[in-house]
Amino acid sequence: MIGALLCMLLAADEPARIAPPTAEQLRFFETRVRPLLVEHCQKCHGSKKQWAGLRLDSREALLRGGDSGAAIVPGEPAKSLLIRAVRHEDEKLKMPEDGKLSDRQIADLVRWVEIGAPFPDASKTGARSRDPKHWAFQPPTVPAIPAVKNGDWSQTNLDKFVLAKLEAVGLSPAEKADKRTLIRRATFDLIGLPPTSAEIDAFLADDRSDAFAQVVDRLLASPAYGERWGRHWLDVARYADSNGLDENIAHGNAWRYRDHVVAAFNRDQPIDRFIVEQLAGDLLPAADEAQRHAQLIATGFLSIGPKVLAEVDPSKMQMDIVDEQLDSIGRVFLGLTLGCARCHDHKFDPIETADYYGLAGILKSTRTMDTYTKVAKWHENELPSATLTAMRAEYEAQLATKKKIVEEFVAQADKQVREKLAADGNVKPPDKLETLYPDATKAELTKLREALTTLEKNPPNYPAAMGVAEDKIIDLAIHVRGNPLKLGDVVPRRTPLVVGGPQPPQFGPTESGRRQLAEWLIDPQHPLTARVLVNRVWRWHFGRGLVRTTENFGLLGEAPSHPELLDWLARRFVADGWSLKSLHRLILNSGTYQQSSSPSAEVAARDPENRLFGRFNVRRLEAEEARDSLLAVSGQLDATFGGTLLKVKNRDYLFDHTSIDKTDYTSSRRSLYLPVIRNNIFDLFQLLDFPDPAVPSGDRAMTTVAPQALMMLNSDFVMQSADGLAARLLGEPGDDDQRLSRMHVLAYGRETSAEERQKHLAFLIKVEQSAVASEPDPDKRRRQAWSVLCHVILAANEFIYVR
Amino acid sequence: MFHHRISRRRALKRSAAGFGSLALASLLSETTSASDGVDPLAVRPPHHVASAKRIIFLFMSGGPSQVDTFDPKPLLDRDDGKPLPFDKPRVQFNSTGNLLKSPWRFRQHGDSGLWVSELFPHLAQRVDDLCMIHSMHGTNAAHGGAVMKVHTGSDNFIRPSIGSWVSYGLGTENGNLPAFVTICPTLAFGGINNWSSAFLPAVYQGTAFGDASVPSERAKVRYIRNSRLSREVQQLQLERLGQLNREHQLQTGPEASLEARINSFELAFRMQSELPKVEDLSGESKATQQLYGLDDPVTANFGRMCLMARRFAESGVRFIQVTHNDNKVQWDQHADLKNGHEKNAREVDLPIAGLLADLKARGMLDDTLIWWGGEFGRTPTAEGGNNGRDHNPDGFTMWLAGGGVKGGFRYGSSDDYGYYAAENKVHIHDLHATMLHLLGLDHERLTYRYAGRDFRLTDVEGNVVDDLFA
Repeated sequence: MIGALLCMLLAADEPARIAPPTAEQLRFFETRVRPLLVEHCQKCHGSKKQWAGLRLDSREALLRGGDSGAAIVPGEPAKSLLIRAVRHEDEKLKMPEDGKLSDRQIADLVRWVEIGAPFPDASKTGARSRDPKHWAFQPPTVPAIPAVKNGDWSQTNLDKFVLAKLEAVGLSPAEKADKRTLIRRATFDLIGLPPTSAEIDAFLADDRSDAFAQVVDRLLASPAYGERWGRHWLDVARYADSNGLDENIAHGNAWRYRDHVVAAFNRDQPIDRFIVEQLAGDLLPAADEAQRHAQLIATGFLSIGPKVLAEVDPSKMQMDIVDEQLDSIGRVFLGLTLGCARCHDHKFDPIETADYYGLAGILKSTRTMDTYTKVAKWHENELPSATLTAMRAEYEAQLATKKKIVEEFVAQADKQVREKLAADGNVKPPDKLETLYPDATKAELTKLREALTTLEKNPPNYPAAMGVAEDKIIDLAIHVRGNPLKLGDVVPRRTPLVVGGPQPPQFGPTESGRRQLAEWLIDPQHPLTARVLVNRVWRWHFGRGLVRTTENFGLLGEAPSHPELLDWLARRFVADGWSLKSLHRLILNSGTYQQSSSPSAEVAARDPENRLFGRFNVRRLEAEEARDSLLAVSGQLDATFGGTLLKVKNRDYLFDHTSIDKTDYTSSRRSLYLPVIRNNIFDLFQLLDFPDPAVPSGDRAMTTVAPQALMMLNSDFVMQSADGLAARLLGEPGDDDQRLSRMHVLAYGRETSAEERQKHLAFLIKVEQSAVASEPDPDKRRRQAWSVLCHVILAANEFIYVR
Repeated sequence: MFHHRISRRRALKRSAAGFGSLALASLLSETTSASDGVDPLAVRPPHHVASAKRIIFLFMSGGPSQVDTFDPKPLLDRDDGKPLPFDKPRVQFNSTGNLLKSPWRFRQHGDSGLWVSELFPHLAQRVDDLCMIHSMHGTNAAHGGAVMKVHTGSDNFIRPSIGSWVSYGLGTENGNLPAFVTICPTLAFGGINNWSSAFLPAVYQGTAFGDASVPSERAKVRYIRNSRLSREVQQLQLERLGQLNREHQLQTGPEASLEARINSFELAFRMQSELPKVEDLSGESKATQQLYGLDDPVTANFGRMCLMARRFAESGVRFIQVTHNDNKVQWDQHADLKNGHEKNAREVDLPIAGLLADLKARGMLDDTLIWWGGEFGRTPTAEGGNNGRDHNPDGFTMWLAGGGVKGGFRYGSSDDYGYYAAENKVHIHDLHATMLHLLGLDHERLTYRYAGRDFRLTDVEGNVVDDLFA
C-alpha cells in the first residue's frame, strides 16, 4: 500500500509533463536504468564530476546536456547522443570508457528514451521519501500531560495519554480486570510461568490498596524474571547456540552470553550501561574479575549472528560479517534498516552509502574473526581467572612432561646405539641415529611422539566467550554496489548524519570507535535508542508496540499510534536511570495495563484492532511459556538456574552433510536453557512461532495453524505432561470433585463450577467405558481416563491463552 | 503495482492452517474467508498465460559434473593431463591441477541427437523431452552458499525459497495438501532455509517429508498419528475440547484467534486421515512401481521419492522437491569420480526416466515442469589425487522438461573444456525468472514488501530466456 501510494505520489509530482509516467514506467527506470546510470555514468557525469559539462543524474540535466548538446531527445533514441554514445555509433564518442554496455543494457536505455525518459524529480520525491525531518530522527519532545475527563480511571500519567486518545473519539476504556485474571496475566508476563495456588490465594486475601503493586514487586525480584525478560532481549540479539547458515557448528560458549543477559536483567543493570557493554565491553575498565568477565561476554552480541563460514572469498566473508553486525546494530538500537546502504543509498530512509561505510569502518577495525579460511573461526576472548591460570599451568606441565619423556627416550636410545656402534668398532656415528634404532624402539618412539602431538593439538577448553577485540584501525572505502573489488572514496568512520540530537563522536586513529558509537547511542538526546527500547517493552507487555514495526522506525515503518506517550515514556525511562524494572512498575501499575480483555461493545465495533488500547489484548502463550507451563502443572519442571545443555563441543557440527541430527532437546529445564539451534529449532518451538534466531526480532508472530493442533493432540511431550498431571492429581488426597477443582486451579488458576465438574465426570466415565475391552485392569483404566481428561484440559484454549 | 497484497500479519493471525510444517488450504479457506475474505492459499490468476502449473525439482545435491553427463568436450579428451589453457577463476574452492578427461563415453540419442554419457542409459531414451542448458552459472563455490542460491536466489541472506514464492504467487489447487513439499531434503547447507518462507507469511513455507538422513520410506509429516489413543477416544477428546473452548469463549467474548484455534483442531483431526492416503504407495500397480525402480534396492529409495512426487503433482501440489543426497554429499566427487558418479547415476537414472514416462503417459508432462540439477557443476581439472573434480559454479548443465519448454533442445554452451559458461549464459537468477515465467509469473512483479523494500526471488537480476519456450 505504501509502495503504491508512493508511486502515485511520484507520478503526481511531474505536473509539467503532458503524460506523466506510469508507475510501470517509473519502475522500469528504477530497476533498469537508474542502476546503470549510477554504475557506469555518474562517476564522471554526476554530482561530483561533470566531465564535458555533462550530468546524467536528473531529467533536466540530461535534457540540458553538456558540451556536445542535449544528451537525450525523449521519444527519439536515434537522435539522442547518449544512445549514440553507448552504441559506439560514432568513433569519437564511445561511452562508457570502461567498456561497452551489454546489448541488454543498451536496449534498456533505448526503450527508456522511447517511452519519454521518465526520471522522477529528486528535489521533490527525494525529499518526500528520504525525509531528514522524519519524526524518528528528531530528539523526543517533552509532551504535556494531556487533560482528560475521566480523572478517576486514569491512575497514572501514562493512563492520561491513553485515555485522551480514547476520549477524543468518544470511547471509554474497558473495566478493570478481576484479581484472578490480573495475577495470571502479570505472572506470565513477568516470569513466564503460571501463578501457584498459594500465590493466587495470597493475592485474593490481600485487601491492601497496593496489593497488586506488591505482586509486581515480588515477581520483579524473582530470578525467574530474568529468565523471561532476558529471553526477550535474546530475541532481539538473534541469540543462538549454533551458527546456522552454511556450516552449522556449535556456539559452544554462547550460553555465557545468555546467562549474562539474564543476570543483567535480574540485577536491573541500567540499560544504557548494558548497551555500552554489548558493543564495547572489552574496552571498558573493570573493578574486578567478575566485571571484566561480564563485559567481555557482553560483546558476544556482535559475534553471535549467522556467518557464511565457508565463503571462499575472504574479503567478501569479512564484509558479509560486518554487514550482518551493522544491520543488527541498526535494527536493534536504531530501529533502522542500514543493510540497504551497503550497495546503494537507502531508497526510503535518508541513509547514504557513505553513512554505511562510515559505520562499517568501526566494525572492520574490530576483530570478530580469527581466520577467514573455510571453515572460518570466530574470535573468542579468554576469561582470565585463577581457574584459567591453573588449567594453563597444568596443561603446560603435561606438555613439558611429555616432551621430556620423548627427549629422555631419544637420549637413552641414542646412547644404546652409540654403545653398540662403538662395540662394533664404528668410531664415527651418523648424524641421525634414529634410523639405526631397533624396530621396537622406533615404534615406541612414534607412539610417544603421537601422544605429544595429540596433546598439543587438544589444549583444554579454557573458559572463553564469543566476543570481539580491537583490530587494525582503518577507514573504509565505499564498495561500489557492495563489490569489494570496486572501491570508491574512503569514508572516515562516523555515525549517520541524519540522526539528530547528540554531537557526532570523534573517531581517532587508535581505537575502532565502538565505545564512541555506544556512547553516542546512549546520549539522552539521541532520538532513537530510548524510543526503540521503550517501544519494545510496551510491545512485550501489550502484544503490540506503540510503533508496530518494532525494528523499523524509518520512513517505511509505521508511525506511532501515541507519539506523545512514546516520547514521554522514553524521557521518563532515561530520567529513571534507564531502569527496566522501574519501567515495568510504571506500566503494570497503570489502569491501562489492568483493563479487562473484554472490550465495551463500542470499542469492539470501532477499534477492533485495539489501536487505542481500550482493552487488554488476549494473547497466546509464547513457545517457552507453553512448554514451561506444561512442565510446571504436571509437576516436572526443573528450575535449575543457568549453564549449558548443549551436548556438542564448541565448533563441532550440529548438522553436517549426513543430515544426522546431533541436537538434543530432552530436558525438563526451563525452555530458556534448551539450545537454540539455527536451522533446527526445537519443533515445538518452531510450531509456536519461536522467532528466526538469525535476525533481530522484537515482535514475534502469533500464528494459529493446524500443525500446532496436531502437536497438541499427538506429541509424546503433551501426552506425558497430561500423564504427569493425572498422576499428580490421583496421588493427592480427597475425592474426584476436589481433584477436578485442583486440576482447574493448577491449569487455569480458577475454581470449577459444579456443572463443569459434572461434565468432566461424565467424560471420565465414557473414556473408561471405551477402554473396557482393551484394558482389563480398572485402576489402569481410571488412570488412563484421567490422563485423557488432563490432555483435553491442557489442549484447551483456556490453558494456552492469557487474558 | 505489487502482487497480491496480503498483510503478513493478517495472514499469520487469521490463518488456521499456516505453517510450521504443513499447510492445508482448506483449513484456511474455512477459517479465514469467514473472518476477512482473504485466503492466502486460494488459487490466484497468473500474470500471463501459463504453460506450466507446477514444478518438480530433482535436486542433485553436491553438484554433478557437466563434462561427464550431458556436455561432452572432445578437447578435454585430447588434452587430458595438460594444463588448462586459460586462467582459472579468481576465487576457487580448492586448488585443482591439470585437465582430466571424462571416464565415460558419450553418444547421441533420440531424434534430437542430444549427447548423453553412458552414465544415464535410461534417461538417454527420453532425451527428446529434455531441454538442456549448458551455460548455467552461479556465484558461489561452496555448498552452503550455492545450495541457498539455487533455492532462494541469495547466498548470504535468509530469503524465501522458490517454492514459497510460487505458492505465494499462485496459491494451491488442492486445499487438502500443502502447496509446497520437499521430500528428504538435506538439513545441511542452509537446511530449512532452503524451504523456508523467510519473511513471506508462514503459510508459504515448504512442508518437509523426512530428511536426507532417513530412507524415503520413513519420510512422513510429524505428529500425524497418535501412538496411544484410539480414534474413538480421540473423537471423545475432541468433543470435550470443543465444549470447553466454547464455554471459555462465552467468558472472553468474540475473539478471532480463539475461534481460529478451535477450527484448527477439528481440521487437524481430519487431516490425520487425509494425508496418509497420499503418502501410501501400495495402491500403485506393480508395473508402475517397477517403472520407478521400486523393485530394485539400488533405485528403490530415489524411485519412491519420484513416485511420491508424481502423486503430489497429481493431487495439485504446486512445488515438489525431491533431493538426491546420501550421507556423503552424494554428487560431491572431489576424489574417486568414477565410482562416485557411477553409483549416483545408477540410483537416479531409471527413476527419473520412469517419472518422465509416467507423467507423459498420464498427460501431465505438458503442464508439469521438471527441473534437474545440482547447486553447481564440477571442474574439468583434476583434484584429489587426480581422480576427482572440484566445485564449479562458473559453468555447468541443468535440464528442464515438460511444462512448456522445447524438448530435445540444447541451449547455450560452455567453453571448449567445459569450465566457464560461454555462449548465451544463463545465471541462476535467469533460470528462476524463466521458470516463474513458465508458471505465468513475471519475476519483476512477484514482489513482497518487507523491512522497507520490495523483495523478489531474483533480487535486482534475472532475464527470462524465452528461447527455451516451446
